[in-house]
Amino acid sequence: MAANVHAISDAEYQEVRGQRLLGFLFFLISDCVIFGDFIFSYLYLRTAAPIWPPAGIERPYLYLAAVNSIVLFGSGATMHYAMEGMRHNRIRQFVWFTVATIILGSMFLSGQAYEYTHLHDTWAGSTFGASFFTLTGLHGFHVFIGVIFLITVLIQTLRGTYTQERHFGLTAATLYWHFVDVIWVALFFMFYIY
Amino acid sequence: MAVAEVGAAAGGHIHPPPDTFIKKYVFSLDHKVIAVQYFLTGGLFFILAGLLAEIMRAQLAGPNNHVLSVTTYNEAYSVHGSAMVWLVIIPLLTGGFGNLVMPLQIGARDVAFPWLNMISFWLFPPAGILLFASFLYGAPQAGWTEYPPIALQMPFGTSMWCMAIFLIGVSATITGLNFLVTVVKMRAPGMTYTRMPLFVWATATTAFLSMIATANLSAALAGLFIARTFNVPFYDVAKGGAPVLWQHVFWFYSHPAVYIMILPAFGLVSEIIPTFVRRPIFGYKAIAYSSAAIGLLSFMVWAHHMFTSGLQHWEQFLFMILTMTIAVPTGVKIFSWVATLWGGKVRLDSPLLFVLGFLSTFTFGGFTGILLASVPIDVHEHASYFVVAHLHYVLFGGSVFGIFAGLYYWWPKMTGRLLDERLAKWHFWLMFISFNATFLPMHWIGLLGMPRRVATYDPAYAGTNLFVSISAFVLGASMLIFLYNALRSAKHGEIAGPNPWGGRTLEWMIPSPAPYYNFKDIPIVLSGPYDYGKPLPYANVSQELAKVPMH
Amino acid sequence: MKQERSQPLLDAGFWRAVIVMAAISAVLMYVVVIFPIERFLPEASTVSVPIDRLFKFCWFFGVPILVYVNGMMIYFAIRYRHRPDEPMDAVGSEIHDNRALETTWTVVPAILMVVLAVLSYIVIPMYYPTGQAAASAVTMEAIGHKWYFEFRYPGLRQSVMNEMHLPVGVPVTLDITSSEQTTDVLTGAVLHSFWVPEFRLKQDMIPGMVVPIHFTPSEIGTFRIVCAEFCGLGHSHMWGSIVVQSKPAFDAWYAAQQHAGLAGTSAMIPINFAAGHASGGQALFNTKCTVCHNAAPFAQRKVGPGLANLFDDPSHPTLVTGKKASPDNVADILEHGAHGDMGTMPDMQANGLSAQDISDLIAYLKTLH
Repeated sequence: MAANVHAISDAEYQEVRGQRLLGFLFFLISDCVIFGDFIFSYLYLRTAAPIWPPAGIERPYLYLAAVNSIVLFGSGATMHYAMEGMRHNRIRQFVWFTVATIILGSMFLSGQAYEYTHLHDTWAGSTFGASFFTLTGLHGFHVFIGVIFLITVLIQTLRGTYTQERHFGLTAATLYWHFVDVIWVALFFMFYIY
Repeated sequence: MAVAEVGAAAGGHIHPPPDTFIKKYVFSLDHKVIAVQYFLTGGLFFILAGLLAEIMRAQLAGPNNHVLSVTTYNEAYSVHGSAMVWLVIIPLLTGGFGNLVMPLQIGARDVAFPWLNMISFWLFPPAGILLFASFLYGAPQAGWTEYPPIALQMPFGTSMWCMAIFLIGVSATITGLNFLVTVVKMRAPGMTYTRMPLFVWATATTAFLSMIATANLSAALAGLFIARTFNVPFYDVAKGGAPVLWQHVFWFYSHPAVYIMILPAFGLVSEIIPTFVRRPIFGYKAIAYSSAAIGLLSFMVWAHHMFTSGLQHWEQFLFMILTMTIAVPTGVKIFSWVATLWGGKVRLDSPLLFVLGFLSTFTFGGFTGILLASVPIDVHEHASYFVVAHLHYVLFGGSVFGIFAGLYYWWPKMTGRLLDERLAKWHFWLMFISFNATFLPMHWIGLLGMPRRVATYDPAYAGTNLFVSISAFVLGASMLIFLYNALRSAKHGEIAGPNPWGGRTLEWMIPSPAPYYNFKDIPIVLSGPYDYGKPLPYANVSQELAKVPMH
Repeated sequence: MKQERSQPLLDAGFWRAVIVMAAISAVLMYVVVIFPIERFLPEASTVSVPIDRLFKFCWFFGVPILVYVNGMMIYFAIRYRHRPDEPMDAVGSEIHDNRALETTWTVVPAILMVVLAVLSYIVIPMYYPTGQAAASAVTMEAIGHKWYFEFRYPGLRQSVMNEMHLPVGVPVTLDITSSEQTTDVLTGAVLHSFWVPEFRLKQDMIPGMVVPIHFTPSEIGTFRIVCAEFCGLGHSHMWGSIVVQSKPAFDAWYAAQQHAGLAGTSAMIPINFAAGHASGGQALFNTKCTVCHNAAPFAQRKVGPGLANLFDDPSHPTLVTGKKASPDNVADILEHGAHGDMGTMPDMQANGLSAQDISDLIAYLKTLH
C-alpha cells in the first residue's frame, strides 16, 4: 500500500487508514496479552515462592537498568519530535530525530546485552532467571524489531513514500515504539523496584 | 454509528480479477476461496482425527485389549483432541464459515486485510503436518492439555505439538484481528450494529476472543517449549516452579477457546431458524447481547477446570459463581431459538434438521456443564468419562452438528449446487442416533468411576464400552453419507439460484456461487434482515430475490 | 400476513402440549427423587450423601427444562410445519419479542443458579479440614508415585502401598501430594489424582503442594482408588483400594503393620517355586508387567528391559540389583521392588502380588524365550 499512497483519493485513503489503524491497535493489544501471560507467570511464581529472590540469586543492578531506561524513554521523546516534524512538513526534523531514536534504541539493546553477560543467574537456573530473561528477552526482541521497523520507514521516507498528509506507516512505527516503552515501564517496575 | 460512507467508499470500486492459477486457487486473496481452502483442509483433518477416535474405540471395545500399545493409545487421544480443537472445529467455524459468510452478510467486497487472510490460511497446513508428523518422534501423550510435569518428560513429538499449535495460534490471532476490523469498519451503509445478522454478531465476538485469548495460548506454548528445550523452570518444582501455573495460563486461553468453538455455531443457528420458519428471530437483541456477554464472561471462568488442583476455597467459589452465571445468557439463547419455531411456517429441510439436532444435544451438554460447575459435584466428576461425555455433547452435539447445519445451508452459495435432501436426512438420523448412543452411556460409566485417558478399564464397564465402541463406528460411517453427497453434488446436485432457501441476509442477494467481487453495487441497508413478510430491507436489491423457489 | 385478532396467541393445543410435558416432567422428576444411587455406587463416606443430593437437585430442576426444550421444539416443528397447500412464500408470526417471557426465562434460571451456588457452598467445607472437625481428626498422608499410591500412617515406620485400611466412622484428614523423588525432570515426579468414587472425593496429587481433604468412611467394605490424572505409561493401571473395617479389625491390621515394621521389611517371604503355574504367570504378566516390560529380548526396552531369556542370557547375567539372574533374586525384586535408571519397579504390595503370583510369574518367565 505504501507504493500506492499517492494514487488513491483522499476519502479512500482515510478509509483504508482507519482500518489499518484499528488493525494495528488490535495487534498491539494482542501483543500486550502475550506479555501479560509471562507477567502473570512471574507474579504467580513470585507469590508462591517462600523467599524472593530465590536463595542464592541476586537481583540485577538497579542503576544500570535505570540509565538504560532513561535511554529508552529518551528514544520515545525523540520519536515524538520526529513525528512532530512530519506533521509540520519538516522532513529534515523527522529524519534526524528518527536517526536519534534508532541510535538510542540500539544503545538500549547494548545495555541489555551488557547486563545479561554480567548477571550470574541463568535462564534455566531459577524461577527468577526464568521470568527475568524470558520477559526482558521478549521485550528486547521487540526493541530489535522496532529498530528494524524504524530503519525501514526511514529509508522509505528518504525515498519520498510519505507526505505530511499521508504517512500511516510512520504512525504505526511510532505507536509500536511507544508501546515498547510502556511495556518497559511495567518490566522495570516489576523486576527492579518491586 | 460507524457506518461506511456511501458512494465514494473504498469498497465502491472493483479490482481486476486474479489471472493466474496460483493467484486464483493457491495464494488467493479472495475470502470465498480461502474459505474453501479452510473447509478442505479442516475436512481432511476431521477425517484423520475421526480415524484416531475409531482406533481408540477399537482399543476400548474390551478391557485389556491389545489393539494399541498403551503409548499409541495415549498418543491417539492426545492428537485426536488437539486436531479436533485446533485443526478442525476452530478453522472450520472461523476460517471456513467466518470467511465465507461474514463479508457477504455485511455487504463488503472482502475482509479488511486480504493478504493477512491468505497468510492465516497458509499457516494452517504446516501446523497440521507438524502435529501429525509428531507420531514419528513420539507424539504427545498427555492429552490436548499437556500438563507438566509429565509433558516435560515426553519425547520430541511434544515439542512439535508446541510448535504446531503455536502456528495455528498465530493464524487464529491474525484471523480474529482481521474479522474484527472488518465488522467494525466495513459494514455496508445503513447497517448499524443492531441491523447486523446474528452470524455477524457471533463472528465479531468470536474474533475478539480469538484475538485476545489465542495470543495467550501462543505465549503459554512458547513457555512450555522453552521449559522442555532449555530447562527454563516455570513448572519444575525443584527450582521453585509450579505445575499449576501451566494450568492457569493454558485454561485462560482454552476456556475462551470453547466459546470460539460454539459462538459461530450459535450464530449460524440464529440464521438458519428464521430462514426455515419464515419469521423473525425471537429476541434478536437478547441473542445479540448475550453473545457479547458470553464473550466477556468466557475470560472469567477458566479455573473451573482446576477445582481439584489445590485452589484456595475462595477461588473455587468465585469461579463456580462465574461459571453458573454464564449459563444464564446461554439459556436465553436456547429458549429464544425454540420460541422462534412457534408460529412459524416450519420447513424441515436439512439445515433446520441439523439445527434441531443441535438444540437437543447442545442443551443436554449445557445442562451437564451446570453439574460440573458445582464444585462438590465436580470433585467427583472431574477427569472422568462424565467430562468426556459432556465435552462431546457440546463440541460434537454443538459445534459439529452446527458445522453440518451450516454446510447444508451455505453449500449452494459456495458451490452453486444443492446437496441432496434424501441423503441429508439419512445422514442426520444416522448421525443423531449413533451420536447419542456413543456418548450418552459415557455419563453413566464416568459417574461409576471410569477415569479419562486410560487404555483399559475395570471389567465392570465392559458391556457399556463395547456398546459405545460399536455406536462410534456407526457414527463414523454416517459421515460417509455426507462425503458421498458432497462429491455427488458436483455433477448431480440441483443447480441453486441466488436464494434457494428464501433467506433475507445479503449473501442470498447475489448469484451462487458468488462472483469474486461479491456485489456489483454495495447494498444500502434500511433495517434488520429478519422481517419476513415485509419487503427486503435493501435499497438497491431486487425484491424478486425474496421469493422462495419451488423445489 | 398478520395474526388474526380473534385467534389467541397461545391456543388450546399449546396448553395441551404444556400439560402433557408437565406430566412427563413430573414422572421423571419423581424418578430422580427416588432413584437409588447407592445401589449402583455406594455412598461410603459422610460426604457422599450431600454430594448425591446436590446431584439430584440439579437433575430435579434440569429434567423439566430438558423436557420442555425438546418437547416444545418437537411440538412446534410439527404443529407449525409448512403445509403443502400453503404458498412457498407464506410467512409466520411477526412477533419479535416478549418482555415478560424473556424476563422470566432469564430470572428463573438465574435464581436456580443462585440456589445451586448456595447449596454447593454449604457442601464444600464438608470435605476440607476446617475448624474443630479437622483438629481432632487423625491425619495421614497419601503420596502419588509412578504408578502406585503410598500411604503413611502416624505411628507406622514403613509406608503402606496401594491398599489403605481405615476404621469405619472415624474422621480422617488425608494430606495429599505427589512424590518429589528426583530433580531429574525426565524421571521425576508428576501429577496424579486421588479419586475414590464411592466416597465422591478427588484431589490431585501435585508435586510441591500438600492439599488436605477430610472425610469419614461410613460403610464397611473395600472401595476403589482410581488415579484420575494422566501420569505416564502406567496411568491406566494405577489403582488402589481403601479397606474400611470395623474398629477391632482395623486395630488388628494396624498392629500387624507395626509388628512387620519392627521386624524390618527386608526379610524374604517364602516362595514355593515348584507350585508356580506358567499360564497364571502369563496372564499376570500381560496385565501387570507389559506396561514397562516386553516379552522379548533384553534390548527391546520399554521402561524396563525385555524379559525373555531372563535366566539364561549370557550377555546379561545380572539383574538391575547387581545380583545373578536366578529365581531367588528375581523373586526378591518382585517382592521389594527395585530402582533402575529408567524408573522404579514397584514392590509386590504396590503391584498387588501374592506369593503365589510371584511363583507363577517366575514359572512363566522361565518359559519365555
